[in-house]
Amino acid sequence: MPDKLRYAYYPGCSLKGSGRHYESSLLSVFRSLGIELEEIPDWNCCGATAYMSIDETAAFGMVARNLALARKMGYKEIVAPCAACYLGLKKAQSYISEYPHIAEKVCSALAKTGLECGCYDAPFIIKHPIEVLVYDYGLDNLRDKVKKPLTGHRIVPYYGCQLTRPFADMDDAFYPTIMDRLLEAIGAEVISDYPLKTRCCGGSLTGTIPEVGSRLSWLLINEAKNHGANYMVTACPLCQFNLECFQGRMKLWEGKTPKFPILYFTQAIGIALGIERASLGFGQLVYKPTMI
Amino acid sequence: MSEKGNGKLPRIGVYICHCGLNIANVVDVEAVAEFAGKLPGVVVAKAYKYMCSDPGLEMIKADIKEQNLERVVVASCSPLLHEQTFRRAIQEGGILNPYLYTHVNIREHVSWVHASEPAKATEKAKALVAAAVRRVSAHKPLERKRVDVNPDVLVLGGGIAGIQASLVLADSGKKVYLVEREPSIGGHMAKFDKTFPTLDCAACILTPKMAQVGNHPNIELLTYSELKEIEGYVGNFKAKVLKKSRHLYLEKCTACGECAKVCPVEIPSAFDENLAKRKATYRPFPQAVPNKFVIERLGYPPCQAACPIHQNAYGYMMMVKEGKFAEALEVVLRDNPLPSLCGWVCTHPCTDTCTRGKVDAPLNMPGIKRFIADHAGDFALPMPKDFKENGKKVAVIGGGPAGLTAAYELRKRGYQVTIYEAAGTLGGMPAITIPDYRLPKDVLKKDTDRIAATGIEVRLNTALGKDVSLSEITKQYSAVFIAVGASKNRRLGVPGEDNSWVLPGLEFLGRVNSGERPNLGRRVVVIGGGLVAVDAARTAVRLGANVTLVCIESWEEMFARRTSEGQKEVEQMKAEGVEVLTRWGPKEFKSGGIELKSVIRVFDESGRFSPQYDETKTRFLECDTAIVAIGQAPDSDLFKSQGLSVTSWGGLDVDPVTLQTNIENVFAGGDVLGPDVVVTAMMAGKKAAESIDRFLNGRDLYEGRELEGPFEGVARPMDLERVERKPAIRMPEREPSVRIKDFADVHSTYSPEDAQKEASRCLMCSICCDCQLCKPACPVEGCIDYSIPDEEIELNVGAVVVATGFKIFDPKRIPSYGYGKYPEVYTSLEIERLVNSSGPTEGKLVMKNGQPPKSVAIVHCVGSRDKNYNEYCSRVCCMYSLKLAHLVHERTGAEVYNFYIDMRTPGKGYEEFYHKLLDEGIHFIRGRVAEITDWAIEPSEKGKLVVRVEDTMAGMVRRIPVDMVILSVGLEPQPDAQDIRRLLKLSCSSEGFFLERHPKLAPVSTVTAGIYIAGACQGPKDIPDTVAQAGAAAGEVLAMVDRGYIELEPIKAHIDAEDCSGCKMCNGLCPYDAITYDKERKVSEINEVLCEGCGTCVAACPSGAIDQDLFENQELLYEIEGVLKYV
Amino acid sequence: MVKRVIRTQEDVSGGFVDELTASPGSEALRDCIQCGTCSGTCPVAIYMDYTPRRLIAMAREGLKKDVLSSFTVWLCSSCYACTVRCPQKIKITDIMYAFKRLALREGFYPNKFPTSVLAKEFFSEARKNGRISDIAVAIRLVMKTNPFKAIGMMGLGLNLMRTGRFHLFSPKIKGTKELQTIIDALKEEGHA
Repeated sequence: MPDKLRYAYYPGCSLKGSGRHYESSLLSVFRSLGIELEEIPDWNCCGATAYMSIDETAAFGMVARNLALARKMGYKEIVAPCAACYLGLKKAQSYISEYPHIAEKVCSALAKTGLECGCYDAPFIIKHPIEVLVYDYGLDNLRDKVKKPLTGHRIVPYYGCQLTRPFADMDDAFYPTIMDRLLEAIGAEVISDYPLKTRCCGGSLTGTIPEVGSRLSWLLINEAKNHGANYMVTACPLCQFNLECFQGRMKLWEGKTPKFPILYFTQAIGIALGIERASLGFGQLVYKPTMI
Repeated sequence: MSEKGNGKLPRIGVYICHCGLNIANVVDVEAVAEFAGKLPGVVVAKAYKYMCSDPGLEMIKADIKEQNLERVVVASCSPLLHEQTFRRAIQEGGILNPYLYTHVNIREHVSWVHASEPAKATEKAKALVAAAVRRVSAHKPLERKRVDVNPDVLVLGGGIAGIQASLVLADSGKKVYLVEREPSIGGHMAKFDKTFPTLDCAACILTPKMAQVGNHPNIELLTYSELKEIEGYVGNFKAKVLKKSRHLYLEKCTACGECAKVCPVEIPSAFDENLAKRKATYRPFPQAVPNKFVIERLGYPPCQAACPIHQNAYGYMMMVKEGKFAEALEVVLRDNPLPSLCGWVCTHPCTDTCTRGKVDAPLNMPGIKRFIADHAGDFALPMPKDFKENGKKVAVIGGGPAGLTAAYELRKRGYQVTIYEAAGTLGGMPAITIPDYRLPKDVLKKDTDRIAATGIEVRLNTALGKDVSLSEITKQYSAVFIAVGASKNRRLGVPGEDNSWVLPGLEFLGRVNSGERPNLGRRVVVIGGGLVAVDAARTAVRLGANVTLVCIESWEEMFARRTSEGQKEVEQMKAEGVEVLTRWGPKEFKSGGIELKSVIRVFDESGRFSPQYDETKTRFLECDTAIVAIGQAPDSDLFKSQGLSVTSWGGLDVDPVTLQTNIENVFAGGDVLGPDVVVTAMMAGKKAAESIDRFLNGRDLYEGRELEGPFEGVARPMDLERVERKPAIRMPEREPSVRIKDFADVHSTYSPEDAQKEASRCLMCSICCDCQLCKPACPVEGCIDYSIPDEEIELNVGAVVVATGFKIFDPKRIPSYGYGKYPEVYTSLEIERLVNSSGPTEGKLVMKNGQPPKSVAIVHCVGSRDKNYNEYCSRVCCMYSLKLAHLVHERTGAEVYNFYIDMRTPGKGYEEFYHKLLDEGIHFIRGRVAEITDWAIEPSEKGKLVVRVEDTMAGMVRRIPVDMVILSVGLEPQPDAQDIRRLLKLSCSSEGFFLERHPKLAPVSTVTAGIYIAGACQGPKDIPDTVAQAGAAAGEVLAMVDRGYIELEPIKAHIDAEDCSGCKMCNGLCPYDAITYDKERKVSEINEVLCEGCGTCVAACPSGAIDQDLFENQELLYEIEGVLKYV
Repeated sequence: MVKRVIRTQEDVSGGFVDELTASPGSEALRDCIQCGTCSGTCPVAIYMDYTPRRLIAMAREGLKKDVLSSFTVWLCSSCYACTVRCPQKIKITDIMYAFKRLALREGFYPNKFPTSVLAKEFFSEARKNGRISDIAVAIRLVMKTNPFKAIGMMGLGLNLMRTGRFHLFSPKIKGTKELQTIIDALKEEGHA
């Protein structure tokens, strides 16, 4: 058993909004495993993708504020469950350390508010909950905690794009297996050869150009069904939102609404750990797997 | 400068070159010349259009004569280009030593880099010239040294480059040593089917050359050999080459292949890119040169190495796999006289190291061994053909595994052996205590009888100390081996232990084994966590009791569970209904049961056994009988009484290597040293026999015994992920409910079919399995000899040609291309084998399912032109892709798609070949393939591999379904190129290929004089270029050796013995090992011939005792002075 | 209908490529060997008017107007697949961002084109409250671009309400002032 695991926690906007069941399941799972998350006080939006297209440096500034707040808490590692935030934080850090002039601007901007930017300190280690579970907590320890192994659950592990790219230090950028191993550890039958593990779900296009965005989502769901999956698990709030909430549109290509369950990986783990569905945000799911 | 010291400067001529417009365009050469003319000492200064041209050189020579110049400075291009030219010129001038000269580079250093600032450039040129003029006045004449050249040549690598170079050299009468690490020459080219662009077959043009090499009187072919060391210098190298043993005599082998026919080993053939299998005795391909076989042995496999008696498990596995059960028995008996005993009860460390265990489950080696013995039924132990009595008598006290093994080993060596056994039967502890269901008496008896039958006298019921004393025995025998085991029951030392219902484990098992069936009552508690306890528990079960086993260890710590065999036993015990109670120890035996106390810990921090209890936490366990089996101890009182010394904890005190006791001709081993398992006891027996034999023949007892006992074995490199899973075949096991009703065997032996199946799971770690079937199969007397060792030979050569070739890029590194994931994705080299008439499919291009492909994609630039892998272009891929496209289309009629970034077909007939393919209707799609998946969107894509790519010419993204994908992998340096580089002191370009001395003017020379490079080791190139370069290298070598001598650049470092402090700092730093330390004079010395004048030592010398020609302090100071004076 | 497509040097704006390579992450633009790996990898290239490869070729030739007014940049959903696979290590996604920023700044982007609107909505929302409600932004987006689509999206809305994921207003953080100071201090010249 690893000694106490503690991290600064950056939820990001989605986990307080459309992805609140991601947060509830994440927190319940970590609580039952004794992993501590301390939310960064008064954190702000990470800048996300859209912000980058308006003003990159400003986006870095927004991240820098969050980092500064976290630094005050005295942590070395930040857990960011939203793939977009995860990428946003990492990207900002790498640009700040790579480009002195950016660091300079950001520092002076933060200075105006009396915040210590820490641009020149050692960067934070940004972690996704999956990394925490697999690398820090350990799969063997997780296995010991499993009460109801997901035997017979055929699951497609969908990573989405921004979890492994472009900073592919977690796993292979296109064919990762880290979440596969995680799901195997809780007894599920993982469809590891699913070819679209990291193919884009459409991202913000589902909102802006539905006929493109939702088509991408549908391809993922359709292929999952071809592999005989019972449901799909994701690690990103936008993916989950796109894949689950726009299935109505998919009549266009499938003739009917797929009604295919899309869970957060944390919800699947929660079930295996024997946590009751209520505290795993199953209420927020539009389609629920029959076997759970 | 002695004679000029008085201020009188030498007469200097300065010459400024325009280099056409290269210099003159930027630098005002006339101004520089004019400036130079005014410098002190300069008597003539001129500028000229081409100083390096004849008129230019003539002008200089003329001036030297007329103006009787004493020094010359030329300012022109890089000294790399023309320094030698001008040195030669002033020498031809006849009056000047070539080193009274300084070369100034005002092209690369000035005009080319300051093109935008002519004025400043001119000033810089002046400064450099001023420096040179000042410097040159300090120059001294230097003499070039001559050394004789050894005309013999070493060629490294037997690919087409090495072959070509060797032939050219040999034909011109030079002696050539051709070293190739593979068993045959031929290299990559031997794997090809056809060659581009002419499509003539590779074999047809290569094999004749290979044959020539094989037969050439001037070529000594050293295959299956590697360069280990090389020292010396140009003209006089000394090379050490390791000739790996082929385990047969090359000259005797007729390549009849009988050995391969009987060889049971089958591993992937590297020559066939692992698409086919080959034997452990093999030749890479039928046209191999030399056309000889190799028996490839890596040494002991993990199983054999881990076995204390080094039983060759791999060997008998192979025999069983082949259904050769008699031969299997032979292999077993080679190292093990107790096959049944081991087959039934060995703890088999072999299985714990089995490589298969890392894949699915280890092989059941004891099970197979038992099968072999069971299947053979009655047989005798082998005795040496040349057996003869040596008349010496040896006594073995104790008829257990240790004693029996020793007795047999000694008997084989011709001794007269007598076994003294205290019990009424041979077999020792196993005979007395191991219950029948684990080891039936008759089975063990067979083993012991066989040993006795080799002519060993056995005296039963004769106990040491009781019936006979050691001193009596030593009187009658020249040596004694004591292996009486550990027969004393350990006691708990808790109250009530002596109650009649508390039985010592061994005693209990002994009684039952001798046929007694004691009534234990309903409830039985067994105390102890070892194997004896487990035996006792299971025996009690069979006597009809409910049994609880109580041990102080936790489940994980439990002694019995420390070996896989023990774990099996424990599992079976539980299956038979025995309750296990861990972390409890007995406090007191009270009427009606035992009071237990809970355990705090069993081992202390350092892992030593020192149990601690919580006396307050207790529980009571009712029972009618308790059996205490907490281990046994050697009978130390007995040993003492016989005058033997004993260790602190009661075991016999012996030398760990020789097993010799304090009495010189008395040896001891087995449980007398402390309780252990059967197979380690047998090891003791073997060791003792060896020691006694050495002792009685007055040989050294210690030397050469390193390999006794377990060590780590060797396994050939395997990709365990890709090893085919094969579930273990279990031995039939009787139902617990049934088997507890009697004492009959729990298992029944394998059926021959199952045994073969199980044996065929072996991964053949060490290649040759030492079954020794090939020796008798070989028709040539004395050809095969397993004892031939590797051999290191020394070669003296004058020059070395390095032609070590390349390796292909491993496409597994690009997951998006699915190599290793999708079976129908191949490398180009694999396809070369598939389309090759002598390949695994006799040239039929078929998919894994045997069908020819209907559509094939050829992906160019795999691993090349890619900053994530290799940035360079591999040059040959476009052309070989075209060749493969043609062959595939021709052989299968399939639609062939080439996916390329740019087509690169520079070469004679190459572009024409490209057009030929265009006309054949091959598809050419310009676009680098993004990914290859089995993701089908359209029905037409189902079951195919889908290539996704942007057709950049058509300007659209396309998905193209195909049956087969060929990855045109790039070329990379050999994995061990860096070792060769270090060995030969070469340098490498950034991508790791060997670097030539000059990309244009010295393309096959290297930075180390006398060492030349040819072929793909210098950079990717095709066969025509390779052959040309090999010829060039050979030419350079000839030019060098035919002169008979070489002139060494006289720019050497010198140590002034006066100033040398003998600190030796320079010795290690010299990259050419030119510096040695003279112990008498306590100073370092530089070998002029080895010194390359790099200057490292000069800079390093703390006492400034080292000086270097042309870089003497004086000269450097003047040069600096010259610049500074000007600016 | 035939269309006359030709580019004269009039259409070429000199400093464009330098302007790009000067922006962080876009330096390697000139290294492109036009292999098309990016386009082949891109999941949305099949919807673009110019594939990413072509866009880079155009940018390199200074065809600024064509580049910045193309739909391509607004289709990029920044999945970074191209960036990871590019054999020349060109950070194509970042270059797309650079294009987007320039397009917005210089008013090239297609008017009312949803993605650009979303970006702006996102921008103001985040600046105002410090956090955003994806739903709220989405709705405002629909209203701004194509109100009629809102009806089409009722289903979604119902779903979200049913599952308690629907909320119109973005939560406000305490440090909004602080945040705005930072943003405004970092704002690149040339846009609000």
